[in-house]
Amino acid sequence: MMTMLGGEPFLLVSKQEQQNYPLYIRSVPSDSELKFHYTVHTSLDVVEEKVSAVGKVIVDQRELYLGLLYPTEDYKVYGYVTNSKVKFVIVVDSSNTSLRDNEIRSMFRKLHNSFTDVMCNPFYNPGDPIQSKVFDSMVSSMMVQTC
Amino acid sequence: MSVPDYMQCAEDHQTVLVVVQPVGMVPEDHFFRIYKRIISVNQVSIRDSQRLLYIRYRHHYPPENNDWGDFQTHRKVVGLIAVTTCSSAKEWPQTFDRFHGQREVFGATLYDSRLLVFGLQGEIAEQSRTDVAFYPSFDRCEDVEKRVEDFVESIFIVLESKRLDRATDKSGDKIPLLCVPFEKKDFVGLDTDSRHYKKRCQGRMRKHVGDLCLQAGMLQDALVHYHMAVELLRSVNDFLWLGAALEGLCSASVIYHYPGGTAGKSSGRKPSISQAADAGKRHRPGAQEVLIDPGALTTNGISADTSSEIGRTKNCLSPEDIIEKYKEAISYYGKYKNAGVIELEACVKAVRVLAIQKRAMEASEFLQNAVYINLGQLSEEEKIQRYSILSELYELIGFHRKSAFFKRVAAMQCVAPTISEPGWRACYKLLLETLPGYSLSLDPKDFCKGTHRGWAAVQMRLLHELVYASRRMGNPGLSVRHLSFLLQTMLDFLSDQEKKEVTQSLENYTSKCPGGMEIITLPDGLKLPPVPFTKLPIVKSVKLLNLPVSLRPHKVKGLLGQNVTTKSPFIYSPIIMHSRGEERCKKIDFQWVQGDVCEVQLMVYNPMPFELRVENMGLLTSGVEFESLPAALSLPAESGLYPVTLVGVPRTAGSITVNGYHTSVFGVTSDCLLDNLPGLKTSGCAVEVVPALPRLQLSTSLPRSAHSLMPPSGEELSNSVSVQLFNGETQQLFITLENIGTELLETLEVTYKMVNTKEKIFGEFLSWDLQGPLSQLPLKPSQTVTIAVDIRVKLDFSGQENLLQDLNDDGISITGLPISSPLRQVLKPRAENKPISAEANKTEYNHIKTLEAILHFKYSGGLGQMQGYYRELLLGVHVDVEPSVFFTRVSALPATSTRQCHLLLDVFNSTEHELTVSARNNQDVVLHASECQRMAIQVDKLDVDSLPEPDEETLRFASPRQLEEERQQVQGYQVNSKLGITWRFPLTRCHPSLRRKGEASVEGVLNQLVLEHLQLAPLQWDVLVNGKACDCDMVADCRVGDTVPLEVKLTNRSKNAVGPFALTVVLFQDYQNGVHNYDLQDAVTFIGSNTFHIDTVNPAENRICVGALLFLYTGDFYLNIKFQDDSCSRELPLAWFCLPNVHIKALDPGY
Repeated sequence: MMTMLGGEPFLLVSKQEQQNYPLYIRSVPSDSELKFHYTVHTSLDVVEEKVSAVGKVIVDQRELYLGLLYPTEDYKVYGYVTNSKVKFVIVVDSSNTSLRDNEIRSMFRKLHNSFTDVMCNPFYNPGDPIQSKVFDSMVSSMMVQTC
Repeated sequence: MSVPDYMQCAEDHQTVLVVVQPVGMVPEDHFFRIYKRIISVNQVSIRDSQRLLYIRYRHHYPPENNDWGDFQTHRKVVGLIAVTTCSSAKEWPQTFDRFHGQREVFGATLYDSRLLVFGLQGEIAEQSRTDVAFYPSFDRCEDVEKRVEDFVESIFIVLESKRLDRATDKSGDKIPLLCVPFEKKDFVGLDTDSRHYKKRCQGRMRKHVGDLCLQAGMLQDALVHYHMAVELLRSVNDFLWLGAALEGLCSASVIYHYPGGTAGKSSGRKPSISQAADAGKRHRPGAQEVLIDPGALTTNGISADTSSEIGRTKNCLSPEDIIEKYKEAISYYGKYKNAGVIELEACVKAVRVLAIQKRAMEASEFLQNAVYINLGQLSEEEKIQRYSILSELYELIGFHRKSAFFKRVAAMQCVAPTISEPGWRACYKLLLETLPGYSLSLDPKDFCKGTHRGWAAVQMRLLHELVYASRRMGNPGLSVRHLSFLLQTMLDFLSDQEKKEVTQSLENYTSKCPGGMEIITLPDGLKLPPVPFTKLPIVKSVKLLNLPVSLRPHKVKGLLGQNVTTKSPFIYSPIIMHSRGEERCKKIDFQWVQGDVCEVQLMVYNPMPFELRVENMGLLTSGVEFESLPAALSLPAESGLYPVTLVGVPRTAGSITVNGYHTSVFGVTSDCLLDNLPGLKTSGCAVEVVPALPRLQLSTSLPRSAHSLMPPSGEELSNSVSVQLFNGETQQLFITLENIGTELLETLEVTYKMVNTKEKIFGEFLSWDLQGPLSQLPLKPSQTVTIAVDIRVKLDFSGQENLLQDLNDDGISITGLPISSPLRQVLKPRAENKPISAEANKTEYNHIKTLEAILHFKYSGGLGQMQGYYRELLLGVHVDVEPSVFFTRVSALPATSTRQCHLLLDVFNSTEHELTVSARNNQDVVLHASECQRMAIQVDKLDVDSLPEPDEETLRFASPRQLEEERQQVQGYQVNSKLGITWRFPLTRCHPSLRRKGEASVEGVLNQLVLEHLQLAPLQWDVLVNGKACDCDMVADCRVGDTVPLEVKLTNRSKNAVGPFALTVVLFQDYQNGVHNYDLQDAVTFIGSNTFHIDTVNPAENRICVGALLFLYTGDFYLNIKFQDDSCSRELPLAWFCLPNVHIKALDPGY
């Protein structure tokens, strides 16, 4: 998971059924990271609810992008779930109006591609925290772009 | 109105509110006992009608909320039940006044009131009043419920009358404007005659009537009225009331759709008769469309009668519409700052409905909205309440994390710095409730397997908060438990700095309250299981160690097959049958001994960035009584795998299982069970303990060996000695055995085994006499016994014959053929003793040979012996054998007697010292260093038959070759013992250490040919001349002219019959110059034949051939008996036919 410059956190969560734990967290600035932990942790309720609701309709062709999970006073929380139930969460500053749905969507897509690369690494153990430098730099570049 | 009722739900709209309050001095517990009885009457079936009246009781209700009673009638207090005590009639008026006063508080809205008086007896109590009930005491008030029901009925009558009154208001009458408290000033001076105003009044009244209908149990009526109110109010944009009307509509619909209620199980309603009655017609799809008859909406007022509409309308909202309408209502409420409580409550109600509908997403939106409703300045208590209720609602819709989040916020609120008396207990309790939301349990077992569950960062935070809260609560035991849990389960997520801090504070806490393994039970029943520190240190493997070799017990073999277990019917199967679990329990194939210190090796690892002190680390076992000897260790920071040996003494015999270990780290004692350790490697934890056995300590008279002796079967030696000896020397070794155990030593057995038997060794290497020592048994503890062992080295060093060829230059052959002149070969003294000049050569054959053997001492005693166990001590004996003297060459010469022969031995002194070699019946030979001399020793021939025969057993199994070797060995030994060659260093000139002597053995150098010479031939030839046996150098004298009888006697000592042979006696004269004269016809005459024929001689028989000679001249004659074998095959060795030469001296008869 991650947060972007200017208080725009990106967050990424893995789900192993009932066992959500962070694979990667990144936030800028990092001083209030715990707060984002709470934000993202609670957002998982919504993610799960959405996933289960979608699951009822069509399992195969579901939209990975979950959209705005919920708005808080200061942040907007967006969610994305891969087919393997890995969750991406992006938290952005509410005041940042330049980021609209489409931008967020493309950010998720980028994130997903990069995550796929990480998973392709034969030395990566699925479920371990992500320590890939490439992934790191990708996230950094994304955070820089958005501020 | 500022106090929201978070517990409200949609169906509360149909209840009437009754306040139950104590008046005067009423003990709280008594009051609540009565209160509970009162509230059990929460729905009353009204006589003569199908309707039910629902009652909501409150023992506390803020009067300002009552002011909103017109807005929503369920907020209006319509009944008051006062509970009071009154002991005497004197107090009665005062009490009654108080009741009046209380009535005044809600005065305007009350329909009726009751006073329950307890304790008053007598005249006043006799009077029957409807508004007052007298009871002698709190225990004797059987008809309270009945009274309350009556009271409710009276309320219903008022309610019904009000409803009818309002519903039938004539349109011509002026309808009063109902308003909420904050509106009152807004309408001052408004034109009351305007159409707009009238409509507003109508709408509000309709809504009010709807409320009343709902309360009075007329659902359909209520729906109709609400619908009309909505229409009316919408047209005049009276948003607050429009919202209320919509909410009323929703409430009525919810009541219709969800007769079970929306408040959850706790306040679930009893299914009523009427609900059961209309259950059949409930909720048919398509029946929800609004069917308001437009005609019913008269333009100028409220329709006189709605009864016509009841039958045909189904104005109920569909479940989807309910939510829509709630949304709308809430948005209208939202327009009014002062209606925050209404809005909040509406949100809560809507959430409850959505929870029933399982529409969590929408519910969360409502809740999200509710979070942001500003109710102005809230007290801390209200904040806590609000967050708690939010948490509960989130829980209700399945958002556990969100729920936990708010619960935690509520907990934090309990101890906000603004609060003068922080409620740490409440905070702690709330925090505990958040645990499931963070998928955290307080049982460390949930975390010991697999990957970590849940969100470590927030879990850690929560645990820290729990620790802090419990500390502030003044319960250090709890703090220690939580902190231990944090350290144990979150270790992987703690940074180095955090690890330091956590352990620091843990040590601080434990200094006050040491942590243990007991379960902590909280007042509310929650149990906190103990937290063993299985990660401090991390144990990677557990290995039970065998006892040291000398202490291992061995089972006496012989009870064959008792250990054969048949787990599988197959002799071999590639499928491993046992599972991992079994592996842990499987027995180990060695045993421990009762009373002896046993060891278990753990490989441990310190994950901390600082030195870890582990105290009191010991074993946890089950099975037999075990005395654990705890150890303290200090592991360096981030140590690698570190071996730790835990020891203990089993005190009884039986089967012991190592279940785990206990430690004390940072003041917390932990019992770590192996079953709970992830990734543990173990080769079995159960081992047999055999009964006590004695222990022996061995010491020897010889120095310890520096050589490491490797026994072949992987055994280990408990001790080993080494000694350097010259070949042939004998050394005595004293072995002292001390019983250092506590058991009696009862049996002792000694055996030995050669280790590397490349060298051919003659005779016994080690020999001892055990009679003496054994007579000292049984040996009590701390007593000793000494055994003397002789070390005797006899090796063959004569491997280097080829180097010593120069000694053999005289060409004496050792062919077995008879040599014509034995005298000639009788020891020519050697001209010179040739020293071996080449130093290099000397070293070649001077090299040291090594002999190694292991002495086994098997001993037993005590109970262990009864069970068939013994112990073994192994003593390695290492002997470096230096060559002393050896025989480079051996040859045999026939002696003059057929009974004897000469052995020629080339003796070589390979030492660096002068030594003396002596043989039996012979003179000593002094040999200088590296000198070689020939010795000639006359020996009696061996009688082969007298040698012991190998026994039957060996005969059967040994190959002919082995038999031959064995035979040769026996013969060699025989020869050697006859020779008795010894060597010694001269006593006088040598250093004391060199005062040695030894035997020199010829066994190694004896070969087949020599042996044949040394054997006494089985055919014995005796030649008698003149009746005298002629043997050796005997000279037979006879006279010329006399007949000399010649007798040849053949005695067969072999096992087979021999023959036929022909013997020819030939005479010759030896001129001593190499010329033999056989032409003696003139000098000697045979009388009779000179040829004898022997047919066969059977075993153990003899045959005599007799002839005679007549010497015609004097002279020295030799008689040579030639032998002719008629049989074509000559299987018998030549030496058997070695007949002596007979020397006959023919003398002048005149002398």
